[in-house]
Amino acid sequence: MTNLPPNQNPSAATQPSPMAHSYDGICEYDNPLPGWWKWLFILTVVASPFYLLYYHVGAPNRSVHERFTAALDANQKKKYLDLGPLTPDANTLVTYMGKKEWMDVGKSIYKLNCTSCHGPEGGGVIGPNLCDDNYKHIKKIEDIAKVINEGVAGGAMPAWATRIPDKNDIVMLTAYVASLRGSSPANAKGPDGSPISAWPEASASTPAPAKDLEPASPEKPESTKP
Amino acid sequence: MSHTAISDTGSSHLGDEDRQIDRYSYDDDIVRWFVFATIFWGLVATSVGVIVAVLLVSPELAGNFRSDVASVLSFARLRPLHTNAAIFAFAGNGIFAAIYYSTQRLCKARMWSDALSRLHFWGWQGIIVAAALTLPLGITQSKEYAELEWPIDIAIAIVWLLFFGTNFMMTLIHRRERHMYVALWFYIATIVTVTILHVFNNLVVPVGLGKSYPIYAGVQDALMQWWYGHNAVAFFLTTPFLGLMYYFLPKAADRPVFSYKLSIIHFWSLVFIYIWAGPHHLHYTALPEWASTFGMLFSLMLWMPSWGGMINGLLTLRGAWHKVTADPVLKFFVVGITFYGMSTFEGPMLSIKSVNALSHYTDWTIAHVHSGALGWNGFMTFGMIYWLLPRLYQTKLYSTKLAEWHFWIGTIAILLYIIPIYIAGITQGLMWRELTPKGDLANTFMDTVPVLIPFWWARVFAGVLYVLGIVLLAYNAIRTWMARPKTYDVPVYSTPRLSRGYVEHVQDSSPLAGVPVLDLATKIDRLNRMNWHRAWEHLPVKFTVMTTLAVVVASAFELVPMFLIRSNIPTINTVKPYTPLEIAGRDIYVSEGCYNCHSQMIRPLVAEKLLYGEYSKPGESVYDHPFQWGSRRIGPDLARIGITQQSGVWHWKHFESPTAMTRESVMPSYRHLLEEKLNFGQIEPRVAANKYLHPEYPYEVSKSEELAREQAEKVAAEIISLGGPVEYNGHLIKDSTVIALIAYLKRVGTDLFKTEEPAVPAGQTATPVAGIQ
Repeated sequence: MTNLPPNQNPSAATQPSPMAHSYDGICEYDNPLPGWWKWLFILTVVASPFYLLYYHVGAPNRSVHERFTAALDANQKKKYLDLGPLTPDANTLVTYMGKKEWMDVGKSIYKLNCTSCHGPEGGGVIGPNLCDDNYKHIKKIEDIAKVINEGVAGGAMPAWATRIPDKNDIVMLTAYVASLRGSSPANAKGPDGSPISAWPEASASTPAPAKDLEPASPEKPESTKP
Repeated sequence: MSHTAISDTGSSHLGDEDRQIDRYSYDDDIVRWFVFATIFWGLVATSVGVIVAVLLVSPELAGNFRSDVASVLSFARLRPLHTNAAIFAFAGNGIFAAIYYSTQRLCKARMWSDALSRLHFWGWQGIIVAAALTLPLGITQSKEYAELEWPIDIAIAIVWLLFFGTNFMMTLIHRRERHMYVALWFYIATIVTVTILHVFNNLVVPVGLGKSYPIYAGVQDALMQWWYGHNAVAFFLTTPFLGLMYYFLPKAADRPVFSYKLSIIHFWSLVFIYIWAGPHHLHYTALPEWASTFGMLFSLMLWMPSWGGMINGLLTLRGAWHKVTADPVLKFFVVGITFYGMSTFEGPMLSIKSVNALSHYTDWTIAHVHSGALGWNGFMTFGMIYWLLPRLYQTKLYSTKLAEWHFWIGTIAILLYIIPIYIAGITQGLMWRELTPKGDLANTFMDTVPVLIPFWWARVFAGVLYVLGIVLLAYNAIRTWMARPKTYDVPVYSTPRLSRGYVEHVQDSSPLAGVPVLDLATKIDRLNRMNWHRAWEHLPVKFTVMTTLAVVVASAFELVPMFLIRSNIPTINTVKPYTPLEIAGRDIYVSEGCYNCHSQMIRPLVAEKLLYGEYSKPGESVYDHPFQWGSRRIGPDLARIGITQQSGVWHWKHFESPTAMTRESVMPSYRHLLEEKLNFGQIEPRVAANKYLHPEYPYEVSKSEELAREQAEKVAAEIISLGGPVEYNGHLIKDSTVIALIAYLKRVGTDLFKTEEPAVPAGQTATPVAGIQ
């Protein structure tokens, strides 16, 4: 390795000479702070109090929790905007079973809550197969909603009414589960329970929303607090 | 290197004619040992990294072994071994090699005590071996990078402060170089701050040798842990490596350091600001929002102080770039410093809340830390070792060509690691938040897992390449060592002792002197000349005290309000302590390292609410010693598992074979928890410790075993009634270890929704949770 002092090193000709001291042969230049470095540093320091003031002086709708609540409300309203509250009667269920966009909604709810016990396609895991003609605790299509809401078999199938508070979600989920009948997913479990008659046919008229029911409301976290 | 004795007249300090001339030599044996330990543990740490990467892509591998062997071969047990080995064994020994080599030369003094140097070396290796034995057995505190249990923690404190710290400080005091060079400032900051972080994050109530409960719970434990965790990155993986850079880079490049002034400014701003940045690991969690905001703002302010180190490194190479093409040492340094610059830009960016909302809990974080660990820490260490080998073994490096190969293989390995993992992280983050036009979740958690598998395979390949690079280093080092001389030449130097009563000669030649400007302007000009700092540099004790003050004051600002202001953690009256059996179950959760893959912290974000349920409140984890919020979701969040999966028999079957319940699962089987019998005798002292921490604990300690057995019977009866087995592995299932874990899981996240039995007396009403600011 060459050991030329910096002032004899041709490539360092434009450099000023280093400071007087050296440590184990290491010298230091006294170069000024790079301007961009200094100003970016100052900028991050100066900007911080403004950020703090903007979000933390108590102005409404700026905190994480307020913005979350607003976003959640907006998202919930988006879903059943034109639908009004529904009831899980046979006619409503078979009607929505035929509407693909709503069966996608039912499928989302199913995937989120039911897959771990009934399998991603309803073939059954620890819970029964939902795709064949044999059912337990179910004689007619409305019974599905009842089983979902209230649970059966001593909690093996838990009650979902509290966890899926939106009644329309229950309707769409019930319709989706009913629609699984007749499909044949891979790795399905064998039949369980007894065979029941086919679901009714859809009637011509679209079911009217139940007027007397409370509008579907999102779960309010505050209501669960002491 | 000169092998003849050199003499130094003491440069500018005249008037000390009667000073005694000292003769001394350097202790390079200790450096040789640390260098070999670094290479050895580097191989171990990265190999364990490859093993855990493989376990992630094929979790069923461990199933081929007996279940007690399989229990050790699980990702969650071995991942802490990988991180601890990389940080404390590989990087740790690396910085000790750097410090022992450079400090002696920068101080013109042998290390103060050879005995302390050796105690430090062997003590540290003993600690590493203890870690390697305990972590795979599930003896862990389950706080990231602070997993080691309390007896090892005490050993760390002794070895670090009493052996290493004392030896270092005494060497500084007995130095023969008047001023301390910038590398030494960084070493001082390292020793002081790591001591403080380590001690305060590891205050625990011990229950036997292998188990303890942190004195902090929930939110406070989380804040302490990430104050520690982030500053372990700062003061174990950054400041000592900056010190390393400031010594070895100008030595290898034979160029003066770019700017003395920049060294001063970026050193002090780094030390002061780094301390505050920890809460950025807890954005959108139950941590109060003001703390999270401070974490973000100080992280942004940290950007330039960090880059000050990068600039001073890279600009030192001005006029020496032609050397970089020829010298693998400089190549390692240049790439290492570049990765430092990238990571310290990315860090502040990830600390911005809205970016963090996407990145947190994903592989993005994993890619970020590996660009820092493999690029910055790894490459700076390798560069240093290649520079040291010929000097320590007093012969030529066995093969410069192999070193070049190591450089290129290592560089490609880093890129092959981080690029796929960045893609995996961002992909998963986007999938988690994707909503359908009707506002439903587009994907469940399991939909996002198979997407990652190809990227995880790429990581396995990249990891093998990186290990291969270290194998080349090891071979090169061994061959160089084999060519060493029969006896090492130990040069003896002579230098006059430092005189007492030295007064800093201040060159007060401000161009503003005599110019008609305000007095203030002259003062600012003088301050700007850094002469005040020059004076500090010959006062090691004062310098250490000032550094300690910077760290302690900044820490106090961050931590004290959290412990003093009660409204930081509003009480939720329905949240009650765990039952004895649930405590036992939680201890299993902690011991198995479930936090490595599962968070217990639902953030107030729409997609998370839809996926996991109500977001987590600070008051919910007040009985959690330690907190288990996690930092990565390889599996789904479990904060509401007691609500979303109430079936004990499902849990039973899932622990036995996760893929039988969820086809795409990457969770390994926990069959050993079904086969092993729970040690009910252990429960009482653990309950006693919980009662000590929470005097209001409602269950009688002496009855805890009885209570636990009762609850275990209930849990088992329910499992049996729903079709589970009565016996397993020759014993009734009520005695299985997993029953306690299931009891705990059925409890997690449920208290918030309970209705309280007795009415709350007026005046004691809890602060409404929604009103937290």
